Amino acid sequence: MSLLRAEGLSKSFGKTHALEDAGITIRAGEVVAVMGPSGSGKSTLLHCLAGILPPDRGTVHYRDHFGSDRELTAMNDGERSELRRTEFGFVFQFGQLVPELTCLENVALPLRLSGMKRKNAERAARDWLARLEVDGVADQRPGETSGGQGQRVAIARALVTGPKVIFADEPTGALDSLNGERVMHLLTTAARETGAAVVLVTHEPRVAAYSDREVVVRDGRSRDVEFAR
Amino acid sequence: MSIGHALLGLLEGGPRHGYDLKRAYDERFGQDRPLHYGQVYSTLSRLLKNGLVTEAGVEAGDGPERKRYAITDAGVTDVERWLSTPEKPEPYLQNTLYAKVVLALLSGRSATEVLDTQRAAHLTTMRELTRRKADGDLADQLICDFALFHLEADLRWLELTAARVDQLAAEVMR
Amino acid sequence: MKRVVSDLALGVRLAVGGSRKSWARLALQGVGIGLGVALLLFAASLPSVMDARSDREASREIVAEGNGPAPLLAEHQGHAFRSDYVAGHYLNTLRPDAPVPPGIDRLPGDGEIFLSPALAKLLDSPRGELLRPRFPQKVVGTIGQAGLQNPNELQFYAGSANIKEDGNAVHGWGVAKQGGGMNPVLWLLSVVGLVVLLFPVLVFVGVATRLAAAQRDRRLAALRLVGAAASRVRLIASGESLAGALAGLAVGFGIFFAVRPFVDQISINELSAFPSEVMPTPALTLTVIVAVPVLAVVTSLLAMRRTIIEPLGVVRNQKPVHRRVWWRLVPVVVGVALLVSQIGKITQTEKPDQWPVVFGIVLLMLGIPVLLPWLVERVVFLMKGGTPALQLAVRRLQLDSGTAARVVGGVAVVLAGTVTLQMMLAGVEKEVQANEKKQASFSYLSVKPRQSADLSGIAAALGKGKGVTAVHRVDTAWGSLDNGGYVSINIAPCAALTQEAAIPNCTDGKIYAVRESTGQPAAQAGDVVTFRQSGEKWTVPQVEVIDGTSNTGGLFITPAAARGLVPYSAEFLVVLDPAVPDAAEHARNAMAGYSWQVYSYFGGQDDTNEAERVFGVVRRALLAGSLLTLLVAAASLLVVALEQVRERRRPLAVMAASGVPRGTLARSLLWQNALPLAISTAVSLATGIGLGVLVIRVFGAEVAFDWAGIGLITGIVVGLTFAVTALTLPSLRRATGALGLRSE
Ligand SMILES: Nc1ncnc2c1ncn2[C@@H]1O[C@H](COP(=O)(O)OP(=O)(O)OP(=O)(O)O)[C@@H](O)[C@H]1O
Ligand SMILES: [Mg+2]
Repeated sequence: MSLLRAEGLSKSFGKTHALEDAGITIRAGEVVAVMGPSGSGKSTLLHCLAGILPPDRGTVHYRDHFGSDRELTAMNDGERSELRRTEFGFVFQFGQLVPELTCLENVALPLRLSGMKRKNAERAARDWLARLEVDGVADQRPGETSGGQGQRVAIARALVTGPKVIFADEPTGALDSLNGERVMHLLTTAARETGAAVVLVTHEPRVAAYSDREVVVRDGRSRDVEFAR
Repeated sequence: MSIGHALLGLLEGGPRHGYDLKRAYDERFGQDRPLHYGQVYSTLSRLLKNGLVTEAGVEAGDGPERKRYAITDAGVTDVERWLSTPEKPEPYLQNTLYAKVVLALLSGRSATEVLDTQRAAHLTTMRELTRRKADGDLADQLICDFALFHLEADLRWLELTAARVDQLAAEVMR
Repeated sequence: MKRVVSDLALGVRLAVGGSRKSWARLALQGVGIGLGVALLLFAASLPSVMDARSDREASREIVAEGNGPAPLLAEHQGHAFRSDYVAGHYLNTLRPDAPVPPGIDRLPGDGEIFLSPALAKLLDSPRGELLRPRFPQKVVGTIGQAGLQNPNELQFYAGSANIKEDGNAVHGWGVAKQGGGMNPVLWLLSVVGLVVLLFPVLVFVGVATRLAAAQRDRRLAALRLVGAAASRVRLIASGESLAGALAGLAVGFGIFFAVRPFVDQISINELSAFPSEVMPTPALTLTVIVAVPVLAVVTSLLAMRRTIIEPLGVVRNQKPVHRRVWWRLVPVVVGVALLVSQIGKITQTEKPDQWPVVFGIVLLMLGIPVLLPWLVERVVFLMKGGTPALQLAVRRLQLDSGTAARVVGGVAVVLAGTVTLQMMLAGVEKEVQANEKKQASFSYLSVKPRQSADLSGIAAALGKGKGVTAVHRVDTAWGSLDNGGYVSINIAPCAALTQEAAIPNCTDGKIYAVRESTGQPAAQAGDVVTFRQSGEKWTVPQVEVIDGTSNTGGLFITPAAARGLVPYSAEFLVVLDPAVPDAAEHARNAMAGYSWQVYSYFGGQDDTNEAERVFGVVRRALLAGSLLTLLVAAASLLVVALEQVRERRRPLAVMAASGVPRGTLARSLLWQNALPLAISTAVSLATGIGLGVLVIRVFGAEVAFDWAGIGLITGIVVGLTFAVTALTLPSLRRATGALGLRSE
């Protein structure tokens, strides 16, 4: 059964048609790579799917943890914001950690936003940092960590709330191949362990190889490419 | 790579003499290794035997070089199957893949589809290697990585070609 | 040398930059510094204005001695009109070559008059209706600038042929200027006012050069990282701030010359001046022109220390090193010590030792912006942040509290200065009003005719005045006591005496001694009074001491007790009906025919409203000044806030994408603006009140608090915090859209 389903998505920026009648289906717990040439609309698709960007046309449905179907495209900004906070996690290419907060506080931030006590939030955050092998930088600021460490902290932050879907837009884009693979390994392993689905935008085949299947976006149209395993 | 499929693909554009076929092949795919006449006629006779081509008339004079060949329905189906079956992901595929793309373009088929099919096959293999790598020891990892890097190079080529397929079509059709 | 110039030029180019943003930054700097420069230029014009003013005053003084017969007779006369005072000369020209006073081109003939522009305007207006009867003469001209002390002066020269020679000869006009002594309290008030108003300007010039500095620091740190030597980076930075300072100078001179033509419209006489005289002295002008750029460069170099020492820290957003406190305390401690040492040394008459006071005030004021960054840092480091919004703000401030602290440092100085001035004003106002109130309980006009005037005619004329209920004759004398004091003597029936002083149970035959303002009774039984005019001596018999209030202390003697006393002069006590409006003016008009021969003084003069008006104007001016400065400070705060939003666009966008509510982000911005402002407001209120108390103590006056004013200023600061935050919200909105996620 599908967890997240988008149909007939279109989105234009002025004259640029970033998405045209694109669709995608994400099932619970699977890792889906979204591939395609630069400028084909991968990021736009991800943003629409996660409810960050409202599409011009088309619908996005999400089945929340109570099993009820919710239409993202019909929600208002506040509701989408809350959904993103509670059900989704995000990892981007760079610059996603709050530079003023320490790594630990960065990871604890989503928990605190949903009302958890500072102490508990930071304990949970520390666990996740350890799991991603970066507990050493817990009390440093993002500016004082390496790119790979920062990216792991970001993954910890995405995972700490126990999200159902993790959206990752070129999470290894700023890393060398060894670090990139390490990060991918940690991300997919942790996601599999927690049962989170991952929507992974990338144009690196070796990164995409961590997925279960891929979706190719070309000129704003998406194509599911599925192979029986 | 399969010369038979290439000749069949070239015949899809219309009946030709064996001599024409060799010239067309050399022009498009034989840059570093032109075909011998012998290769052309032995291949054609095999295709003839399998019912994939027929003789479409003989001009005045004698000898195989005077014969014109045309593709049969069975031949078209064979080309179709060949194009839509991904090659086994392995190194040094570019000749075959390139021929497939060009022939798909020549015959008005979707070259993008050929490429996507191939990339999917490549990715499946890469996935397996990645999985094996995660479970294996260092030696396994290094061996898998070797394969992965080569496959990745192929995949990049596939993507590049996909991005330039329109440009290629324009050149091929000229 | 060429290198130096080219580095400076690079700095200027970076400042001007070409992009719209850098132009906007330069414009803001220009306006900020420009406002300060304009204020400084006005202050620099004060000496010339004062000089010109006292020159003119001296030039119209009468030269009474001369050879030969008097060419001109002059009687100086003042006409009180409600709360205004019209002063001038009645002139009798005896010879055609009589000297002409400055400001008019010829002497007025009999029945002619020259008016100052302000007086002409007043007489023409409906407001001056009750004044007109006193000036029946034919207006033949206007008194020019040369004959006026200030543009609002009410002055006249009238011709009157019936003036007799009586020690009133005029042989010429204009005496050598005398060094006029200013009332020490007034002097101190103006010194404090100047320091308090000008010092924030200097601080603000410093702050303005640091507007939008965070980004610049980044850029310079980057330059430093790619290998520019520290000295070159300093030069480049100097070039950048120089550009702003020069723009500010240009704007400042522009504002100065644009505002100058309006200085004669100022309704407070002491503050109004002739525009042509408002000209900064060359030395002070040069000082401003040199000091502003130097100040700009020095502050930006001082603020750049960190960028130069640890450029990597700036680029990587590291926690800065802690500030040290001890040297930051020096100005405050020394300032307080200096002021405390002066407490009690200044009295009403003694000229204070100026420098300790001025330095004390300057040091205390300087202490604020010096201490504030440290204080903000300490407070912020002690905070943990309860809610995520607060945590975000606190952490941000921990990383860079300097920029915010510097901006609010300027605000704080303005605030402290305003509070101090408000307190001083409140103290003075309270005293003035108490004095006015004391007098307001009487309702009589006292009319003093000249010796030569016809007394019975005056009494008759007065009796016909509208609202006059009674006219009493009071005989007066003036004598000295053995102990060196003076005493004034009034002889009149009880009906008149009780009007002048609050004498309970007045009975004929008694002598009342009303206490002087010193609290001493005017005279005691047995004192010997020597009359000034006659030289006769008189021993004071039994007196009754009166505590009650009066305008002046003195002996009030009933007719039965005055036997044997020879009065020197007489005056009339005109009792007015308080129900008749402007009764005093009607009574004065009744004597209009006596023009220069009588002088009147209205005991019931209620100047409270006038005093309130003046203080109101001063307070409004003060408020407007500080409001203006606060606005500019708010503008710089806004720039800082906007810049921070822009700088942190990406993390903000990612937070919004991950579902952090915009409200949380907005609140964190609010905290980020509010924390430094709250700290600085607290500090400046404390400093302002402390300084106010100290300064008031220094000249021994009563401490009064202008809570309304303080509350208003504080309210404005709170309002500004919200306004600045609200204005950053649109850019926050833009930054947190999906667009913010796209890399630059
Ligand atoms: N906010 C925007 N304003 C204008 N054009 C936009 C905007 N967002 C996306 N586009 C355009 O939409 C198209 C798709 O952009 P998108 O970022 O989704 O591509 P992408 O597949 O993620 O590319 P890349 O691999 O380079 O990240 C591009 O042509 C881009 O220029
Ligand atoms: Mg993208």
